[in-house]
Amino acid sequence: MLRGNGELWLAFLAMVLMTGVYALIMLLTREIPPAGELFGHGMGIVGFILMLMTETLYSLRKRSRSVRWGRMSAWLQFHIFTGLVGPYMVLLHTSWKFNGIAGVTTLFTVIIVVSGFIGRYIFTRIPRTLDGLEIEGALSQEALKQTRRLLALWHTIHIPIGMALFISAFVHIGAALYYATFLK
Amino acid sequence: MRSNRLGCLSGTGIVAALVTALVIAGYAYARGGLLFNPGPLSMHGDRTLSGVASHAEIGGDCKACHVAPWDPATMADRCTACHTEIAGQMRDIATVHGTLFHNDPSLGCRHCHPEHRGPDAALTVMDGAEFPHEVVGFSLNAHQRTAAGGPFQCDDCHERDITTFAPQTCDTCHRQMNAPFMTAHTLSFGATCLDCHDGVDRFGKHFDHNLLSFELMGKHTGLACVQCHVNARGPGDFAVTLQDCYACHHNDEPHEGRFGLDCSQCHTADGWTPATFDHNLAAFKLEGKHVDVACESCHINRQYKGTPMDCVACHQRNDAHSGQYGTDCVACHNPSNWEDADFDHNRSNFPLTGAHTGVACESCHSSGQFAGLSTDCASCHSDPVFHAGMFGLNCESCHTTDNWFAAYNGPHPGIADEGGRGVNHGGASCRDCHTQTLQAATCTACHEGNPGSEGGGEGHD
Repeated sequence: MLRGNGELWLAFLAMVLMTGVYALIMLLTREIPPAGELFGHGMGIVGFILMLMTETLYSLRKRSRSVRWGRMSAWLQFHIFTGLVGPYMVLLHTSWKFNGIAGVTTLFTVIIVVSGFIGRYIFTRIPRTLDGLEIEGALSQEALKQTRRLLALWHTIHIPIGMALFISAFVHIGAALYYATFLK
Repeated sequence: MRSNRLGCLSGTGIVAALVTALVIAGYAYARGGLLFNPGPLSMHGDRTLSGVASHAEIGGDCKACHVAPWDPATMADRCTACHTEIAGQMRDIATVHGTLFHNDPSLGCRHCHPEHRGPDAALTVMDGAEFPHEVVGFSLNAHQRTAAGGPFQCDDCHERDITTFAPQTCDTCHRQMNAPFMTAHTLSFGATCLDCHDGVDRFGKHFDHNLLSFELMGKHTGLACVQCHVNARGPGDFAVTLQDCYACHHNDEPHEGRFGLDCSQCHTADGWTPATFDHNLAAFKLEGKHVDVACESCHINRQYKGTPMDCVACHQRNDAHSGQYGTDCVACHNPSNWEDADFDHNRSNFPLTGAHTGVACESCHSSGQFAGLSTDCASCHSDPVFHAGMFGLNCESCHTTDNWFAAYNGPHPGIADEGGRGVNHGGASCRDCHTQTLQAATCTACHEGNPGSEGGGEGHD
């Protein structure tokens, strides 16, 4: 069973830390860190990698039957941590401009985070072991059934949003490489 | 049975991915590259180039400016294809663009002219280049660090458009640093700082006036610039500041210009006093007793220039001759001693000759009168009774200064001329016969008792 909200606090701390660095850079350069320069670009790249990890690592671990690295609860905590910190970094990467595909990607990112929060609370309604296994009898069959339906519905919505997000993110990255990064 | 596939590989996931990709592709097809536009293009523009008046009119035609990474051309090539005059400047090192690209050939136009920052955003920012600011007439040599110690940013001096500069910008900052100085400085030299200052800091704390043609020495070192550079409004005004003392010190000058304009002949920058005046550089050399005379003795009321140089101008009251010898004192006197006079009577209109040379001055110049005396013999030598008025006052017709008692060789009534040699009468002198006056003669003085002798008896002159 999950204990406490440590991953949330840790994510909050990381975000506060990055906000501090962001503010310091703003103070020194007296401008919003541009998306295409060292800090802004770094935020976007690392944030996107964290979001990719969010998307893939927990799912892979959940589906891994032969090799069981780490407890599911820890993976979920990591999933939540990266799912919060990654999008926040992407948000800092935007330099608060939401034009074109980049803006669409940011919008999807916000939606997926909100969706993730909702999913997390649906998911944690079912008591589980530290390995993520449902604990029998902790919920009434009716409540368990209802929660599982809700979770399935959530998956049905969350995953397409995630796919749309990553498709638009990859297009954004491709376009940025084409139009800016490799620009001569 | 529960599926073990990854969510992204689920049907809904794949469908969502495909739909998203299709929407993006469709939009890109319909609207060009606008989907990848990071921000609106600038609407700045004052003329039409290649059919557009601003970048904004290019719209979604990304390839108008952007080149593919594999294209050998660069974005700068696209820029200069339209901005041909800039292309020319880039080849001319005398221009801003030429200097920039000469200093850093890797620079692209976009490093200073970013786009997609909004329709009204400034098209020039210099964050990405070491901008040779001196090329625009103002070096950043003296603006390396702000008063707070941090590096300068463009917008410390420029507002939104770095190609413009508000003249009051200097004053605003520098007044915060030193308000009293700025008040005094702008009062002295005006408020258009750039008229003088070009950022090189030539006139700042490292300025050394002694490297210029006018070295600051003595009391000049502590002066405020404006005391000499009055109403200067540009380097040219400073350069043409007159360097002669009088230009600044004409109000301090007690001589009223009578010593000329070169104060340094007597004064130094250490102070007006002590002054060292070499009078011998003047037309009137100081010799003898003049050396020790106080200046004011001759230069009454500090009247220096034009002081008369003739002796009587000062020595009239010392003239023992009451002006009888005229005004040329040096004819007899010298500056060392009045008494040591050296008078040459022969330079007068009455040279002393013969018996006159041994005569005491007072014999002729009685009563202290020297000038204006008559040179007639009779003025000293009265007609003697002996002549009995027979010869008048034309003494020199018979006498000379060498021989007063000259022999009379003229006709002599009563006594015959003896052989054309005049009266001789046996070698007798006039007074041998004329014992009292020439009107009476006696023979008996010689011939008494000898009446038969020649010429004897009473005779008549």
